[in-house]
Amino acid sequence: MKKILGIVLLGCFGLVLAVSSGLAQTAKTGEPAGEPIKIGGSLPVTGMASEQGKWVKAAYECWAEDVNKRGGLLGRPVKLIIYDDESNAEKAVTYYERAITVDKADLVFGGYPGTSNVALMPVMEKYKKVFVGQGGHGKSFEQGFTYTFGAPPLMGEWSGISVASVFDLIPKQNWPKTAAILTMNNVIGLSATPNIVKAFEDHGVKVAVNEVYNLPLSDATPLVSKAKGHGAEFLVVQGFFDDTVMIVRESKAQRYEPKVIWNIIASQVPAWFKEMGPDADYVLANIWLPGGLPYPGNDRIVEAAKRKLNMSPPPTYFGLGYCWMYTLEQGIKGAGSLDDTKIRDYLRSRPFDLPFGKGVKFDSRGLPPPFNFTVQSRAGKNEIVWPKDVAQAKFMYPRPAWSK
Amino acid sequence: MSYVLESIISGLLLGGIYALLSVGFGLTWGTMKVLNISHAVFAVLGAFFAYWLFVKAGIDPILSLPLLAAVMFFVGAIVYKLVILPVTKAKDIVMASMVATFGAATVVENLMSLFWRPDPRVLKPPYTSRSLFIGDITISKGPLIGFAISLCAIALLYWFLHRTYTGKGVQATWQNPIGAALVGINPERVSLVTFGLSIASAGAAGVAMAMIYAFYPSVHSVWTLFVFLVTIVGGVGSVIGSGLAGLLIGFIIGVSAAFLPFAWVNVLLFALLLIVLLFRPEGLFAG
Amino acid sequence: MTGHLEAAKTDYRRFRGKLIFVLVMALLVAFPLVRPPLFFLTLLFSVFMYAALTQSWNLLGGYTGYVSLGHIAFFATGAYTTAVCMSRYGLSPFATSILGGVFAGILAIVVGYPVLRLKGAYFTISSLLLAVVMQLVFLNWEFVGSSTGLWYKLMPLSIEANRTIFYETMLILAMVITLIVRYVEQSRFGAGLMAIREDEDVAKTMGINTPWLKMKAFVLGAFLAGVVGGIYGFYMSYVHPDMTFSMNTSLLILLMSFFGGCRTWGGPLLGAVVLSLANQLIVTFIGAEISRILYGLLLVVVIIFMPDGALQYAKGLTRRG
Repeated sequence: MKKILGIVLLGCFGLVLAVSSGLAQTAKTGEPAGEPIKIGGSLPVTGMASEQGKWVKAAYECWAEDVNKRGGLLGRPVKLIIYDDESNAEKAVTYYERAITVDKADLVFGGYPGTSNVALMPVMEKYKKVFVGQGGHGKSFEQGFTYTFGAPPLMGEWSGISVASVFDLIPKQNWPKTAAILTMNNVIGLSATPNIVKAFEDHGVKVAVNEVYNLPLSDATPLVSKAKGHGAEFLVVQGFFDDTVMIVRESKAQRYEPKVIWNIIASQVPAWFKEMGPDADYVLANIWLPGGLPYPGNDRIVEAAKRKLNMSPPPTYFGLGYCWMYTLEQGIKGAGSLDDTKIRDYLRSRPFDLPFGKGVKFDSRGLPPPFNFTVQSRAGKNEIVWPKDVAQAKFMYPRPAWSK
Repeated sequence: MSYVLESIISGLLLGGIYALLSVGFGLTWGTMKVLNISHAVFAVLGAFFAYWLFVKAGIDPILSLPLLAAVMFFVGAIVYKLVILPVTKAKDIVMASMVATFGAATVVENLMSLFWRPDPRVLKPPYTSRSLFIGDITISKGPLIGFAISLCAIALLYWFLHRTYTGKGVQATWQNPIGAALVGINPERVSLVTFGLSIASAGAAGVAMAMIYAFYPSVHSVWTLFVFLVTIVGGVGSVIGSGLAGLLIGFIIGVSAAFLPFAWVNVLLFALLLIVLLFRPEGLFAG
Repeated sequence: MTGHLEAAKTDYRRFRGKLIFVLVMALLVAFPLVRPPLFFLTLLFSVFMYAALTQSWNLLGGYTGYVSLGHIAFFATGAYTTAVCMSRYGLSPFATSILGGVFAGILAIVVGYPVLRLKGAYFTISSLLLAVVMQLVFLNWEFVGSSTGLWYKLMPLSIEANRTIFYETMLILAMVITLIVRYVEQSRFGAGLMAIREDEDVAKTMGINTPWLKMKAFVLGAFLAGVVGGIYGFYMSYVHPDMTFSMNTSLLILLMSFFGGCRTWGGPLLGAVVLSLANQLIVTFIGAEISRILYGLLLVVVIIFMPDGALQYAKGLTRRG
């Protein structure tokens, strides 16, 4: 009995192997020429970054639709191959390599989030694939990679600009005196902290709490207790969606009333308003592409969001995703080819008018010059409060007390 | 400085919940020599059950506990028949059980991941977002309720083991398997009941954990580390030992979180576990 | 008369075995010359890597029965050594991977001294803790890149050349490690290890210096894993605590050894080849969760029905059949 079972099991495994190899064969031979341009890669459709990832995915798909409606790229339709890497960097690398070597994608799309991108940038460099997206933050741009472009990058190092901007908006005698910084332990969070600390020091603010927490955040209580215990008036939360929600909720539960709450991701995700209800308002965030900017490409983003998602203004991560593909599109059109090296050289050769700014010139690292916007959440929307020349609303300070 | 006290209280509440999470694991190890690596995965499963009942049917997690415990007991019985029983016939039960239950854990985790997605979830009945204010101290209600659940469940388990006939049979089998068999106690039935209870307690613990922690299918491997921690510090098989160990660990978490950067709290805990393993593997509260 | 015949048969079998080995190696080494799709080079690289790792683990895990769940720590030590050496000092990982192995060996000595005194489950849990604590420490240690990670400089070669170099390197590593393990198995050292597995107390009374043997196996296994890790880091061009300390790898190594049979050098090799091929293919074409569910089921089935491994099982079948 045991013998038979053993044979059957080994046989099953052999069968699976054979089938898989068979599938490998078909993927190898591919389809006949004259077919769609394949743009492949993976996104965090599930997992810790899924709240942002799903908007990036929606944007990529909308972009592909819009492009195909206008006659495709270089006369050919565009086809996306999007895998789910479950917010895991190792899986992202596997899927991107698969897209390149097995699916024979012509191009790759920019990845998300930063934690996956730091691992992907060297891979793209090795395979010589132009990688237009957010890049992997700070240090990853210092490694000499030439194929990555941050369009825009989500450069934590530039977050200090946004934190400093808050002080620009309130009279000096009302400035907050103490700050608490709660940061998730990954490259996204950590890249921002030094410049934020400097921004505080430049404005005479004492950083009373500077804590790093490992993801996933299990319990926000001790973090908030510490911030409240030190009476921090400016709360900085650098986390993904779920952990930021936990921290802000816990702040309300403990009746901790900072004068400013500033975060990086959560309030820019549509689910924020649903999850937090009346507690969602008056939270600040820094953004690299707020909705409604007067630059080229924004019209397509706004129109796509309204048409496909019935949302206005477009969610932040939708706008970012669309912008990344829009930039790649400019590169393909300008180079007139699908050759990654030609596209790369074209993107570096001149300034571009992109959704996040006019006359953007990418430097040798693939970065535009530093910039940042500050927005405040109110009534289901994020409104620009800084820079003043594009501001859509007045900055509400201090934060109103929590509702009952 | 009130936050130090708050941190300690928060830690103690957490420790009590860890105790419930671990007590079943210690029980199976003690009575059957089975190292059930899949113990925590059933806690996650319990959390998911409570989550779906709450989100789809609006049933408060506390109310769903009795049903949950029964269902998990049944699940435990099935797992016992399929995986544990065959393994107890092996030459080296400890190794075989580790490997087999690890396999079972992988299967259950990935089934959950396949059907319910790896996104993190939190169990959020309305009372968990409020706090108790005692003077200067704030205590979140979520951990408080989780602690209450754990206290009741551990008390129930203790009562069962020491006051009921079957329970005493479990203890007898553990202390003297041959003697117990001679007296007519059916070792397989005892093991089945033990394992079922163990899994049921894991499920309840999962609900308690979910009141404070975000959970997702693969979190069980993190929870398993805490199960090891409590069981080894407390002594294998001792319910009271697990309870005391849980409180001690909770206290350490509370104190260190107040003074150390949070990232180092876990390092401290596991270093502690390593020290206990090296110098007093039978546990600090054994017997 | 029959004695000579038997001796001749054994000699022939040995010669045939060596011939097969040389032929297979030659084929594998020459494979890149036919310019196969990159996918296959990547696939076989990971097969060779698992073969090497599983063998290095089995020195202690299989031969002595001390099941370690922390082997990844040594692998990661090697990877981080080459990463730091390259990103800070510009040294080539091909050279510094040996250093990586040395550091892994030193770690094994430091950790092994207290931990190898523990028995059974306690040893296993301690080994797991080693890997967990190390990962947590690395996540917060500036020198090794904390949670940003470290990058390697890329080789100025085409991707085909790049993949071929790593393919050959890992192939040779796997071969060398297998030969080392086989040599150990057939030596007195190996006999001593297996005596420990049979019954450690009896082995002690027979005069076998069990702590020394265990330590040797532990350190050698760690050294080999460190070298493999050093090369792997360079292959990925990036190390990070979440990626390089993958607990998944630790468990796969265990499974492969158990599946193939941990008593001989052939078992882990068989397990590594069959299971990593299957794993890569299933993950690539069917899905990660399905692959892991199958793995979990396999683990349960193997430990219950084939406790000595598939190799022994198959041998048992042929003997009877």
